[in-house]
Formats: sequence, structure tokens, C-alpha cells
Amino acid sequence: MPKHYRPPGKKKEGNAAKYVTRSQAVKNLQVSLPVFRKLCILKGVFPREPKKKVKGNHHSYYHMKDIMFLRHDPLLEKLRDIRAYEKKVKKAMSKKNRDLAERLLTRKPTYTLDRLIKERYPKFIDALRDLDDCLSMVHLFAALPAVDRAVDGEKIPVDRVHNCRRLSHEWQAYISRTHKLRKTFISVKGIYYQAEVEGQKITWLTPHALQQVLPEVDYRVLLTFLEFYETLLAFVNFKLYHSINVKYPPILDPRLEALAADLYALSRYFDANAQSSSMKTKAITSTGSEQVEDQKEGAELDEAELRLAQLQQQLPSNEPGALMHLVEDAASEDEEDVETRECKNLFKNMKFFLSREVPRESLLFIIPAFGGIVSWEGEGAPFEESDQSITHQVVDRPAQGRKFLTREYVQPQWVYDCVNARIILPTEKYMVGCIPPPHLSPFVDNEAEGHIPEYAEAIERLKAAERKEVLPLPGMGKEDLDDPQNLLGIIDRAEAIEAAKRKQKMSMLEKQYHEELKLELQGAEYSAPSTDIEGRDAEGDTAPDLQQLAEDAANMSKVVMPRKKRKLLEAMEIGKERKRAHVLRLKERKKKIDEAKKSA
Amino acid sequence: MRYMDVVRAGDGGNPTGASDDDTDHSSGDSLGEGDDNDDYHGEDSHGGSDDSREVVEESDSSEDEVAPRNTIGNVPLEWYKDEEHIGYDLSGKKIKKKERQSKLDSFLASVDDSKNWRKIYDEYNDEEVELTKEETKLIRRLLKGKAPHADFDPYAPYVDWFAWDGAKHPLSNAPEPKRRFIPSKWESKMVLRYVRAIRKGLIKFDDKPKEEPRFYALWDDSTPAERQGLAYIPAPKPKLPGHEESYNPSPEYIPTQEEINSYQLMFEEDRPKFIPKQHTSLRSVPAYEKAVRETFDRCLDLYLCPRVRKKRINIDPESLKPKLPSRKDLKPYPTTCYLEYKGHKGPVTTICTESTGQWIASGSKDGTVRIWEVETGRCLQVWDIGETIEEVAWNPLTEFPILAVAAGQDVFILDTGCGSHEQQKKIEELLHVEPQKATDDSDISASIVNWVRDDRHGGIRLKHFKTVTKVEWHRKGDYLSTLMPSGESQSVLIHQLSKGLTQRIPFKTKGIPVSTAFHPTRSIFFTATKKDVRVYDLLKQKLIKKLEAGVREISSVAIHPGGDNAIVGSKDGKLCWFDMDLSSRPYRVLRCHPKDITGVAYHRSYPLFASCSDDCTAYVFHGMVYSDMNQNPLIVPLEILRGHSSADGRGVLDCKFHPRQPWLFTAGADSLIKLYCH
Repeated sequence: MPKHYRPPGKKKEGNAAKYVTRSQAVKNLQVSLPVFRKLCILKGVFPREPKKKVKGNHHSYYHMKDIMFLRHDPLLEKLRDIRAYEKKVKKAMSKKNRDLAERLLTRKPTYTLDRLIKERYPKFIDALRDLDDCLSMVHLFAALPAVDRAVDGEKIPVDRVHNCRRLSHEWQAYISRTHKLRKTFISVKGIYYQAEVEGQKITWLTPHALQQVLPEVDYRVLLTFLEFYETLLAFVNFKLYHSINVKYPPILDPRLEALAADLYALSRYFDANAQSSSMKTKAITSTGSEQVEDQKEGAELDEAELRLAQLQQQLPSNEPGALMHLVEDAASEDEEDVETRECKNLFKNMKFFLSREVPRESLLFIIPAFGGIVSWEGEGAPFEESDQSITHQVVDRPAQGRKFLTREYVQPQWVYDCVNARIILPTEKYMVGCIPPPHLSPFVDNEAEGHIPEYAEAIERLKAAERKEVLPLPGMGKEDLDDPQNLLGIIDRAEAIEAAKRKQKMSMLEKQYHEELKLELQGAEYSAPSTDIEGRDAEGDTAPDLQQLAEDAANMSKVVMPRKKRKLLEAMEIGKERKRAHVLRLKERKKKIDEAKKSA
Repeated sequence: MRYMDVVRAGDGGNPTGASDDDTDHSSGDSLGEGDDNDDYHGEDSHGGSDDSREVVEESDSSEDEVAPRNTIGNVPLEWYKDEEHIGYDLSGKKIKKKERQSKLDSFLASVDDSKNWRKIYDEYNDEEVELTKEETKLIRRLLKGKAPHADFDPYAPYVDWFAWDGAKHPLSNAPEPKRRFIPSKWESKMVLRYVRAIRKGLIKFDDKPKEEPRFYALWDDSTPAERQGLAYIPAPKPKLPGHEESYNPSPEYIPTQEEINSYQLMFEEDRPKFIPKQHTSLRSVPAYEKAVRETFDRCLDLYLCPRVRKKRINIDPESLKPKLPSRKDLKPYPTTCYLEYKGHKGPVTTICTESTGQWIASGSKDGTVRIWEVETGRCLQVWDIGETIEEVAWNPLTEFPILAVAAGQDVFILDTGCGSHEQQKKIEELLHVEPQKATDDSDISASIVNWVRDDRHGGIRLKHFKTVTKVEWHRKGDYLSTLMPSGESQSVLIHQLSKGLTQRIPFKTKGIPVSTAFHPTRSIFFTATKKDVRVYDLLKQKLIKKLEAGVREISSVAIHPGGDNAIVGSKDGKLCWFDMDLSSRPYRVLRCHPKDITGVAYHRSYPLFASCSDDCTAYVFHGMVYSDMNQNPLIVPLEILRGHSSADGRGVLDCKFHPRQPWLFTAGADSLIKLYCH
């Protein structure tokens, strides 16, 4: 009898009935493999791991219910329709009936993904939870070259790239506007951002704004994913924009858009919108409810014109101060939590100017997110380099020729480090031309990792110093911090406190050790007379005893553990050991580097 | 036919690139003159070219047509291929063939003469014809499918030569038909079809469907939000970057050159995927070349990887360890080495405590058996047997302090002289064996064992036929079992001391026995083979139980004084506790020793048991057996006793408890005996 013999007339049971291989699934759905792949991606269906792999180990298994889920989706039928329609077009084309083909092409059946999004993410929070991959991918495609080029026979359509760019800017504008950005990190792969929206931590990666390498991969898969992600992000943006009373598909100032200053244009748009909405609310409160309907009807018609008018009105004025006022007006203060407020006030009263060579988009995103005002070198900028009120100029060149004495020249890393540390760091280490201090990841829990880099400690000390101080007066505080002399004092003080603490700890430990030693000696004396008769020396035995005892205690409980738990414990111990080895290696390297520095 | 030739030639040459440096020829008649000026053609050719032109601009009248120079008619020209002439003129004279131009010349001519493309060779008349500009235009028009003459108007207004006006007689006198006056049925049908199509929406008039806002508040309606389908397993989020991924990492995260080189020696999969590197400024960071690739891989993971919800245990490893009762509550138990008994010259293989607890006996590889006083460590007596002592065993009865010693192929039963005077007498009586009696015995089991009086040591000597490894007394002190692993069917023997009898056990044993034990209260006998422990009922003479240890090789066995539990030590360092009421499989397996377990022992009264092993340690456990059948035995490891040193790869060879005190004796391969006290 074969291994999986099933008598005729008896249905399949168990794993054989519940799970099907991919080829079986494709056959079942009567679609081609690319269509199946597309369906799976759009519906979010993935293979599962059956307990028993009936067809063998090298297959991927889909749950039958998942397949039924796909089968009942209207999208499947729609994709079949599209295929039939494409055949029609092809037929017309091959009959040289161009007219018909073109007419058919204008009425191509399309499908929308909003239903799928609602199905996959029934609540908004679910969508936010799964947004990481979406954002990273959209940002990657936004950085791809927007040229029609054949890659592997498959094109990355230009409009998709533009759409990605627009979506990513919209997202960033929202985050920046509502001060929801929390952490940033410049890695080799690009710049990581972490924002907190509705309590969800959303992390995404934007590649460096350079020419990207396009390897030979299956771009159809990527584009299918992108299709879903674009729709998802647009809906998320819609929801978020409406939550702060801004119309969603934003209408941007074409001039700024042409200058590729989309983010700035978006922030402008926000301001205009906020103004109009505040006006509206004012009107409502003053006139009462009777005007509400009136307002709504009128608003629908006039909104676009109004917005454009406001944009135009603002454009020539070019006054960034107004922008900031508006921000304050619009943001509803009562909803903000402590962290948002902290983020909002980090770069308050600071004016930044970006030089040509720094990554403009990233900094245009970050600085306003933390309450700063920013301008750049180039057309459409809100203020010029010669503006006297600029406090910091972000520069990334070997040497700065002409310098204004009223401002500080810093490297871009300073901004990122300040954001991560949530304090204004002293700028002298980030001067033009010098190698900045190491850039540390804000995503690492140093304590848990076991190794704290030197600079992290320094930042921690600065933070402690900051906290110690009574909140500085608005005028004084900043200068206090910026003054290196003063800051040094703070550091010294913080260091002294730390040192005192350490000393205390040491003394405590020492005392404890002495006590233990004493106890041990007493124990030895107690047992000494009896052992002396036999001429046995107590010292030799008692010395390694403490270690031995601890080891024995650990060993003993292991003896009675069931095998499963024991193996688990051993695995855990191996993991811990590996981690410890890693930390040890880091410490060794650090020691060597320090020694080399000292001798040099 | 000639006409066709010309067309074909015009096709081959380039008619479009006409050069304009020709003189304009106005009409066909003046063409001849124009050609006259052209000195390229000879006299003969002149007429011919004229003819051809006549043919081209043919008209209806055949009068203009000049007959061709050649008169051969419509015959294949091949006939004249080999002739010197091409035909005959009107007067019947032969027309000579012209000299052929060489290829080079014709090429040069074509290069020099810009009008050369217009020249066509006329095979029939054997001459070159040059087309005029007019003619090329004509050809071009023909190629386009138009009328050859430029001034021909195909769409000239129609002139009705046959005027009707005022005609008295119509062509047809039929009356006007009815269909001229009623609406067309077919038209109305067609209209109906269109109407239907429009109603059905098959015909749409608005070319572009109205742009609806594509995005709307998707999550705002308060419909019950429940995910359909199978349980969703969210994909794990990508790992967040650590310090080492920074563009400017801390120097300790950057591996040194040697370390990078050492990566080459690693296996491909162990090698770190990413080597941190320092960039001194942000502008020097290059684009990450694997960005798209990594995104693609992530996508593949998302839709191709089977997802399983795995419970990640984030627990403190300490919490895995079972909660054991505090060791302090389980006192007393042996903890520290209190005494050492020195005197043996070789590894002490075996020890045994006397039932009063005053004496211990030990046997060693150096061939001596010693008796020590427990409390002082004084060596009372020494017998030099001369062979490696495998086992010593005190008689469990206090009034008979006699010792059974297994050495080589003999078992000695020795009088220790530890008892009082009266006892001594009894012992001497007991140990008195008449030589003839021994011979009497021999007819029962002569081949098995010889009972001989041992004069040298003062006792009985039982001569076996194979090496004896175990000696064990029955609790009544009269019976004695010996074990010869290589004795096959007679490997386990039971001797009766009072009668001087020897018998083998009435069961078949499977496998090589390694150890035996009597049940402490009932007449049950345990035989441990390498694989399992067999339990026999001696009265009913049958197998009761088989305890499957599931270990590689059993080395020792001990029975709990209660009789329902047993421990088995194995050579892979596992200690199995059997609850024989519960099952024939181990109730608990303790993996305590990394090396062979050499001996296991129960304490007679305290809830203690111990194991000793070749790794120079002895474990002491608390092993509480409850009288309540529902409660399982409680096993708690108490102490690891160290102190022996390894000799010749062996550690502790035997361990025994003191019969009354919670003390443990261990015999080490370092020729020491140690006493551990509480």
C-alpha cells in the first residue's frame, strides 16, 4: 500500500485537505502564475507552514481557506476581465484596426484597491502598524531616476516615480507639521526616521539622494507591491490630513514644485489651509449654526480659489515668521503629549540656512519637525544667506570661505545628533572641516547591549546637566548652552557628580567584600581544628569554593530539569555568551584604540 | 514592354535625388535638340533615343511613332547573345554591337557624371538612353499611382452632355413609388437598436468618465471592523540598525584589518554581511548599491515566506529552573570532608560499612582488604589477598561481623574479629567447614563452586570458575549472592552459609549481568544487565518486572529501603530513579555526571541517596518517598562532593552511606577513602 493511500470515495482529511501546494492553488484558481502572484501580493496571502507536509518538503503550502478567500474576491474576476479585454485590443491591433484599438484602450477596465485596503486593515491603527515597509518602498521609488528606461524589459513608469515622490512628501509634510518625528539616523543605507503616529512607532528608510543602482530583479513584483503601497499611503495620508483639517489631495504652488521644493510648498499649503480653517471656525462660532450649511456649500466651491489666492498672497511676502505663527495657531495644544511638545520646542527660535551640498530634503523635513525655521541656497528659498537672524548654517565642505560672525557653522550630523539627544549639543565638535564625533544609532538600547560608546556617555552627561538646571529663561537659556565655556563647567559638574556616585558605589562594594571575606575566614577557622588532625589544609580547598559553590548551585538545578527546558536554557546561555563575546570584543578594540591614542 | 523596362530601371536608380543642374527641356520636340547638344551619344544612338522618347510620350495616334531602329521584332534577345550584331535596320543591314564599357569605366562615369543615374541601358537597341527631367517626373507620378500627365485633372467638374431640361419625354413614366413617402423601416430598426444600446450603456457619449476623487475617508464609517479570512500573521518588522551601521560609527565598531582578513577564513554563511566603515563627512557617503536588491528581497520574504506564529519566550533563564525546596530545610546531609583514610597503595575499588556503623571495610587494587575504625580512622586489620579486590560486603547481622570479599575467582568469607567474645565463638563455628563436607557438596554442584577452608586468612574460600565481581548479602545474613559476568547461565549464584550450599538462580538471564541486589524486605531479587533491570520473585520463581532504563549501559543499581523504588546508574552519566509502583520506565532521569557513574547508594534511614562517578565527584540527593501512593517521590539535588583527584582516568569508584548517620564514604582511585559529614 502506498504511503498516503486513500480509499476511493473517501475524502481527504487533515493536512492533505487543508493545505495545497502553490501549483495546486494556481490550478484551482484557474489563473496564470503571475496573476496568482499579483493576487497574493494584493490580498496579503502568504504561504503557511503545515504540521505535516504531505507533498514533500520543498513545496510552499497555502491554506485552502486562503485560496478560497482569493477565489471569492471580485478582483480575480476583474483581472480575468482585463485579460479578456487585452486580448480584444491585441486582436484589433493585429487587424490593423487602430481606431478600434485606441478607442478600446481609452475605456480599459481598471480596478481599485480601496476595498482590499479596508479588508486587510479594518482599523486605521492596523494600517499604521504595517506602514513601515510601505514607507520604505515608496521612499525608495521616489529616489529612483524618473526616466523611461528599459530595465530588464520592464519599465519603471515615470508617473509612478512622481507619484511616489508626491506621496512621500505629503507624508513627510504631515509628520513635520505635527511634530511627530522622534528619531533619525544616518546609516550607510540611507537615513532612518522614526515617527510616532497615534502611539505607533513607524520607522522608515530613505535612501541617500544619489543615483541608485538598478539591479536585475523582477520589477513586476516590486511594482505590484508598490501599487498596493501607493494606494495605502494615499488613504493614510487622506485620513491624517483630515485629522488636522487640511484638504487632502493638496494643491501645490507650481513655482515651488518646479523648483523641487515640494516639502516647502506643502508646508505653505498647510499654512494656507490652516488659516482658512481657523477663519472658518471663527466665522462659525460668531454667526452660529445657521451659517454652517451655507459655509459648507460656499466652501466647496470657493475653497480652491481661496487657497490659490492665499498662496498668491503669501508668495511675494516671503516672510517665514508668519509661517511659524500660523503653525502655532493651527496646532491644537491640548492634544499634544509631553514628547511632542518637547520635540516641537527643540529648535525653537533657531534659524537654519542650508548650503548647497547638504542633503536638503532630509533637513527641510527634520528642522521644521523640531520647531526650527529653515532656508536653503537656491531659488524659492524663504530667506537669503545674508539674513542676519540666521543662527546656524549647515555646511558640509572642507572649509568655509566667507563667514558670518553672528551664526554658527555646523555639519549636518549636528542636527541629527541634536534630534536624537533632544538637547542642543555644543557645536565645537561639529565645526566645518573637522571630523565629527561618532554618529550613534538611537535605536539601540545601550544598557541592554552591554556596551556604551564613549560619545553616548558624553551625551548622557550633557542631558543630565540639562535636566539639573532650572529651566532657563527664554532669553538666557540658549546663550547659556551655546557658550562653550559655560557648558564646560556644566560638564565638569556633571562629571564630578558621576565620579562621586561611582566612588560611593565602590566603597559600598568594598565593604561588602570585606564582610564576606571575614565571614569566610570565620568559617575556615571553624572547620580548621577538625581538619588539622588529618593534616589537611583548609586554605587550598576553601579558596575556589565560592566560585565552585555558585557553579554547583547552577548545575544542581540543571540536573533535575526536564530535557526540553534544559536545552532551552542551554540555548539561552549560548546566546548570552555570544552577546557577551561581542561586547568583550568591542571593549578590547576600544582599549587598543585608547592605548594607541595615548602613545601617539 | 519597353515601357516597363524603363520603370524598372527608374526604380533601381534614385529618381528622387534629381540633380537640378540640367537644362530645362520644355517639350518633347525640343528634347531631340537638347540631346543633340549632348555629345555623349554617337550619331547612331541619336535616332534611337529619339524613338524611345516617342514611345514614352505616347499619344493615341500611331503616326508619331517612329519604328525602332532594330527590326528583329519581339524575339528573345538571347538569340543574339553570341552574335556580333544585335539585329537589322530598316534597310536590312546588320546593326553591330557596341563595345562594352568596362565596369571600372562605368563606375568612374557614374562618379564623374552627376546625371549618370538617369542613364538607362536599352538592351534592344544596344544603346544608352538618358531620361529627361520631364520623364523622371512622369515616372515618379506613375509610381505614386497618379495619372502620368501633370496637367490631367481626375476630378474635373462633370459636364452633362446629355441635357434633360425641358425634355418632353421622361425616361420612365412609372408613378412615384410609395416608399418615397413612408419612413424607412430599416432605419427605424436601426434607431431602435441604438436606443437600446444607449439605454444599456453600451454606447457612451461622454468620452472621459468623470474623475471621481480617488481617495476618501476609508476608515471613517463605523461598520464593524473585523478582518476576514484566516488569522493574519503580521510580517516581522525589519531589524533596526545598530551603531555599526552608522555612516560614522564609533571607532570600536570598525573591525581592524586583521579581523577583516580573518573573515575570509570563515564559512560563507558565518561571514558578516556588512563591514562597518568610517566616512569622515556626510558628503562622502556613496549611494548604497544594494538598496533595490534588499527591498526586492524583503518583498519576496513578504509574499513567499511561510509565516508561522512563533512564541518568542522572553523570560529570565532563572525562571526555567524548577523551584526546589531550600536545601537548608533538607538537612542533615553530607557536605564537607571530615576524615580521610589513608593506607591503601592502589585505587580503592570498594568499601562497605558495618551495620553498627563502627567499622568500614575497603578493598583495593593493591590486593589488600582493610578494616578501619570509622571515628578515628585507625586501620584495624589488613588482609593481603594478593588479587584485585572487586567487592567487600559486611554481613548485615550485627552479631556476625564477618566480611565477604570478592577477589579474582574467589570469594572469601573472613572473620574480622570485631565482635565480642561470644560472637567470636559463634562465628568460628559458622565458618568451620569440614573438607569432606566440601567434597560432599561437590556432587551437587561440584563444577560450580568449591567450599574450601582458607588457612591463611582464617575463613572460607569459595572457589569460582570465573572472575567474581559482586558479592551481596541477603538481609538475614545467611545467604550470599555472587556474580560472575562471564559465567553465562551460572553467572549468578546464591550460597547459603549455614549449610554451605551453593545454587544458581532458577531463572534464565538475558544479557550480561552487571549488578545484583536483594530486596530489603521481601524475597525479591534484582539483576541488572547492561540494558535493563529484571526483578524476580524468588519464591514463585518467576520474572515480575523489567525496568527499562533507556540508557546506554547500566553500571550499578541500588534499592530503596522501602523496596518500591530503585536507582540505576549508567555509564553515560545518567541516574534513573524508578518508581516501581508507577511504571517500568524511569520516573526521573537525572543527568548529573559527565562521565560514567561507578556506584549508587541509598541511605538506610535518611531520605538520601548518592551517586559517584569517574569525574571525581559524588552527588548527594534528597530522595523522599512518601507513604501516600498519590504523591510522587521528591528528588532534590543537595550537594556536589569534590575532593578526590583523578588517577588513571578514574575518579570515585564507590560510595556508601553510614548506616545510622547522614555520612557518606567515598572510595577514590587516588587510593583514599573520604568521609563526608553534615
